Amino acid sequence: MSLPSFKFLRPRTLRQAVDYLARHGDQLMVLAGGTDLLPSMKQKLFTPAYLMDIRGIEEIQGIHVRPGAGMEIGALTPLSAVEDSESIRRNYRVLHEAAMTVASPILRNMGTLGGNICLDTRCVWYNQSLQWRRSCGFCIKKDGDLCHVAPGGKFCWAAFSGDTPPALLCLGAELEIVGPTGLRRVALKDFYTKVGDARMKLERNEMLTRIFLPEASSGWKGSYMKLRIRGSIDYPLAGVAVALKKNGGPVEAARVAVTAVNPAPLLVAGAENALVGKQVDEHVAAVVGELAAKMAKPLTTSALTPEYRREIVKVYTKRAVLAANTSN
Amino acid sequence: MRKELIELRVNGRKHELAIEPSELLLDVLRQELDLTGSKRGCDDSSCGACTVLVDGVPTLSCTMLAMSCAADEQEALEITTVEGIADHGALAAIQKAYGDWGGAQCGFCTPGFMITVKALLDRNPEPSEDDIRHALSGNLCRCTGYTQMYQAIKAAIEAEQEHR
Amino acid sequence: MAEFSVIGKRIALVDSAGKTTGQGKYADDLQLPGMLTGKILHSPYPHAKIKKIDASKAEAVEGVVCVVTGPDAPNKYGILPVGHDETALAVEKVRYVGDNVACVVATSEAIAERALELIDVEYEQLPAWFDPEDSMKAERDWIHPQRPNNIEKDYHHVFGDPDKGFAEADVVTEHRYIAGEVTHAAMEPHCTLAQFEIDSQTGQPGRLTVWSSTQVPYYLQHKLSIVLEMPMQQIRVIKPLVGGGFGGKSEVIPLEIIAAVAARKAKAPVKITYTREEVFWAHRGRPRTIIDLKIGAKKDGHLTSVAAKVIQDGGAYCSYGVVTILYSGALLGALYDIPNIRYDGYRVLTNKPACGAMRGHGTVNVRFAFESQLDEIAGQLEIDPAEIRRINLLKPPCVTVNNLRVQSYGLPECIEKVIERSGWGERRGKLPPARGMGMACSHYVSGAANSIIRSDMPHSTVNIKIDRDGGVVVYTGASDIGQGSDTMVAQIVAEVLGIGLGRIRVIAADTDLTPIDIGSYSSRVTFMNGNASLRSAEDVKKKIVAAAALKMNCAPEDVIMRDDRVWKRGTASPATNGAGAEHTARADTSGGSVREVSGRVEGQTLRGSLQQKRKDEGPKDQMSFEEAVVSAIDFTGALSGTGSYAPPKDARGGAFKGAGVGPSPAYSYSAQVAEVSVDEETGEVKVHKVWAAHDCGRALNPVSVEGQVIGSVWMGLGQAMQEEMVWKDGLLMNPGMLEYKSPSATESPEVECIIVESVDPEGPFGAKEASEGSLAATIPAIANAIYNAVGVRLREAPFTPERVLAALKAKRSEKKALEMTRGSDPSSPTTFREHGGSLWFKGKGPQRHEDDPSRRTNQAETAAGDD
Repeated sequence: MSLPSFKFLRPRTLRQAVDYLARHGDQLMVLAGGTDLLPSMKQKLFTPAYLMDIRGIEEIQGIHVRPGAGMEIGALTPLSAVEDSESIRRNYRVLHEAAMTVASPILRNMGTLGGNICLDTRCVWYNQSLQWRRSCGFCIKKDGDLCHVAPGGKFCWAAFSGDTPPALLCLGAELEIVGPTGLRRVALKDFYTKVGDARMKLERNEMLTRIFLPEASSGWKGSYMKLRIRGSIDYPLAGVAVALKKNGGPVEAARVAVTAVNPAPLLVAGAENALVGKQVDEHVAAVVGELAAKMAKPLTTSALTPEYRREIVKVYTKRAVLAANTSN
Repeated sequence: MRKELIELRVNGRKHELAIEPSELLLDVLRQELDLTGSKRGCDDSSCGACTVLVDGVPTLSCTMLAMSCAADEQEALEITTVEGIADHGALAAIQKAYGDWGGAQCGFCTPGFMITVKALLDRNPEPSEDDIRHALSGNLCRCTGYTQMYQAIKAAIEAEQEHR
Repeated sequence: MAEFSVIGKRIALVDSAGKTTGQGKYADDLQLPGMLTGKILHSPYPHAKIKKIDASKAEAVEGVVCVVTGPDAPNKYGILPVGHDETALAVEKVRYVGDNVACVVATSEAIAERALELIDVEYEQLPAWFDPEDSMKAERDWIHPQRPNNIEKDYHHVFGDPDKGFAEADVVTEHRYIAGEVTHAAMEPHCTLAQFEIDSQTGQPGRLTVWSSTQVPYYLQHKLSIVLEMPMQQIRVIKPLVGGGFGGKSEVIPLEIIAAVAARKAKAPVKITYTREEVFWAHRGRPRTIIDLKIGAKKDGHLTSVAAKVIQDGGAYCSYGVVTILYSGALLGALYDIPNIRYDGYRVLTNKPACGAMRGHGTVNVRFAFESQLDEIAGQLEIDPAEIRRINLLKPPCVTVNNLRVQSYGLPECIEKVIERSGWGERRGKLPPARGMGMACSHYVSGAANSIIRSDMPHSTVNIKIDRDGGVVVYTGASDIGQGSDTMVAQIVAEVLGIGLGRIRVIAADTDLTPIDIGSYSSRVTFMNGNASLRSAEDVKKKIVAAAALKMNCAPEDVIMRDDRVWKRGTASPATNGAGAEHTARADTSGGSVREVSGRVEGQTLRGSLQQKRKDEGPKDQMSFEEAVVSAIDFTGALSGTGSYAPPKDARGGAFKGAGVGPSPAYSYSAQVAEVSVDEETGEVKVHKVWAAHDCGRALNPVSVEGQVIGSVWMGLGQAMQEEMVWKDGLLMNPGMLEYKSPSATESPEVECIIVESVDPEGPFGAKEASEGSLAATIPAIANAIYNAVGVRLREAPFTPERVLAALKAKRSEKKALEMTRGSDPSSPTTFREHGGSLWFKGKGPQRHEDDPSRRTNQAETAAGDD
């Protein structure tokens, strides 16, 4: 399968990249790790006039600890570097666990944290070749007005399938975005739209540059659990991230987020209430599991039935809460 | 789309090539440089048969533009394919061991595994069984069930240690 | 001295270095000057008439050389003589989403892909059939008009008196089993390169050469000759390295024909390589199967009768279908002693990609049902699952009730060994909660005793040529697809001639050079091509021995050939030093000085010096292999041998309709134990280990045998746990390696292979098959282990976590237990489950025919309200 034609841009500085974005923003796509974009381009899901490879921009690489001010991670940092980072493992456990489940070791060498945050939503009726999509009728998300998942619906339910964003939500991460008007910062929880075919609040002439982890969530215990069929390679069919602040006594603060079961990764409403002030036990964990299952609206966008995936959100949340409670 | 002249660095040699911006590194290696060891097994970046080293890091050459590896104001990235992991006319320990222990049957996935295992052993000369299983999990094989690969890798590590 | 010097040794495949260095060439690695690329346009509809194809816009694209359509090559072909129902590209009708409509030939892949979008095809929709039980009831719009009710073939076999057998039984169990569809997913996508030579006399395209990823070069040559209307001798098929087959390349695949037709029309070499999606459409995998199985047994565990009704969802073309449905019945026999059998098999056409032969062809899904049910009967009768299998062993040599001849039978030892290694007796029943062990057995043919085209023609022929320098060239038609047949042939010839492997060069699977071998399928190659190699080597050995006997003044019976030496019996055997008996120092010119090397180079004795030597020396007691060869050549002229193999008449089965499939000169046997644990909250199953004892007759190369057995078990494990082609009204939902879940290293358990050697009286050095027989036992071994662990009997494969959890919840009578499997209980399944999406909504979707199931069901769903 060949890629559609495009003009290739390769900025070496952020300034250069912003120039390109300003000039060609409406017909340009940003190429980072390429692990999702390039296969999608082979399937003709995207046919941008310009492809801007940002891997040469040194400024937005790497993991930087800012003493007293949390951590700054360049959007281009490979997921393998996030996985291998000792300070992330120690201070932001849930992110470490989530990063190490993404796809496969090779894909983590290529895929970036920024890319995982900006990952396109997925659906079995969408992530297919042009020929395939033609044979069932084009859907709302690409080229058509049908929805095969919720017939008659006008809303796109394609599932957000990144592993690290729920972990980042639990940690209260913020994003730095650059565009022609300069830098802006946005909380990750306000970044997603919950709409499958317009998943994030990022203008076409903007790009994600840095991820900030607040000092406040440093040292939280955490756990990420992922449902998939293979032990490697696969996107999540459901994923649960849990982060807890605890110091010997009861839970002081907590966040729980789910992924791959909605068009956006979502913080579980009420989870914090259910956990804070409590000693975590099987019962408390099960209550959080019920709350998470309520947030989950899986549809037939992937393998395994929605009913099963919802059930698993319940069980995995319970387990992730228990695992986080005893994590390092 | 017009072709552009680029410079690639593959297995220690520089090559000047005229390519279209949309050409994948895999296709350029196979069709322009006749380095057909890297294989195309899937179209969705899941199988690992095309794995090469880019600046020492295992990378899917089917998910990498050749342009992204070319020299611009900076040096071209160093690409190592299966053809470049041993001196011509000899087998690296892992290549010999894969033959001896049945790590390769049809051989189509083997070049990808050679690259993955080389990168693993370069990074971690004495991997545990779990390290090995984990490292191999991004390359699919349809013949062996992986079992004999573990024996081969162990044998290669032993051979390397004797050699030292 | 050991019995054998080459066979039985653990050796690397002779082509392994080419594979590990990337130097070996597969079809897609080949390039020819002026080569063009072909890309195929596929049908978007499951069943439609083609009214018109207008390719003019595509042809006008710069870089497009031509567009090929059905009328360019309308002759029908098919792998079975009774199933000629395919054409290179669709003529009149398309029969599945993905059927081949047109082929664009262009100077690059990107140009060809763009041009495909410009071909206008006008279709007229027909109702389509997706469920075989529905399809069998079709009154009109049959997929092939010559196949009424869409039944490709049905067979109804009765052996013994099944009704009497059931009447005599103390227990009778009856259940429906369902197995999902799986595919080979070989790592190499199919590829074919075709080139015509211009004939010097006529100036027209003459001979055709085809390089193709095939398991059956000779069948390909034959089918090309039918479609292109060319004599076979004008067609040369060359099989380069093949990146895995598993049956997916064991018949002629559309691109192989299309590439040749395209090369003829484009007047240039054309290469077509399938995308992974096209590989899934080409398919020919294991069909979805419904098995209604009834087994009767006495209290003591003896089986009295078996009745099986099997329905296979065959897809839109016959392919190997008739053979598949026959194997499903025939291989009820030859594993256990079953006195009475009734078999009703239906191969049904549906509007989906054609199913065909896949590893364990025909036997796998029925074996899943049988071994599961045998486990259940053992439970009812309170007999150990291993014991009930022992109670029902055959007593060979024998002929089964369905006319299968069984000679070597290592099954008892397989059961013995697998019990011992797995700790079956001590550990089973004492494992932690939700952890269990299960056992199952299986078997497979070592080649079909009857070829597809019934005749007395040898199934394999092998030629050997030996030169004066002692180099041995073996010409075999055997197709190495990674299973190691080149190595097997080299080993057998080396053993017979008493020489090292280094002397042997195997030329394989090139129809111009190698004599006919019908291909790499039905696990026939070691047995049949191995026997032909053995006979060929013995033929040439006779000539060498005769000459050597004269030289050494002894009877031919007293000539011994071994370790690259030839000597007279009774004299001291020469010190063995491998292939280099005549080694001199390697000519080393690194210092720059010139060396005289006349006379002896690298173990070769050159002609002049040897003739001189012969004149000088009188009779002797021993000589090198080269000397013996030179003497033989001096006596006989060219030194060559030939040997062939045809299965013996008494192994070819009965005379009833359909009796041709199932008989084999020998059967392999396997017994397995799987250990699993089940997560009762999530339904996730972890397979900890599989022990597999396989009777391969004699292990010619234990590394290869283990690789084949482990690979089979692993592939069975994939089918048991996670692999499934997911359908929605004829549309394949997972046509890629990302979504078709071929297991990764992470969840692949350790498989311990135990080789059992029963030494078959007719196999080459006693060898039988090793590549397929173990696959079938793995699925029921895991099913039985799950039952042992948590008490649910899964009768629907694969055992995905949702199915396991649904069955667990159903067992606990939980409300909403079956919601997650859409109302279907995996412990008593009724029909195939489809993906839960929609294809059509209120006329806006693809223009499917109004009688299409997609429209019928969705209208019903819509009436019930959207969700």
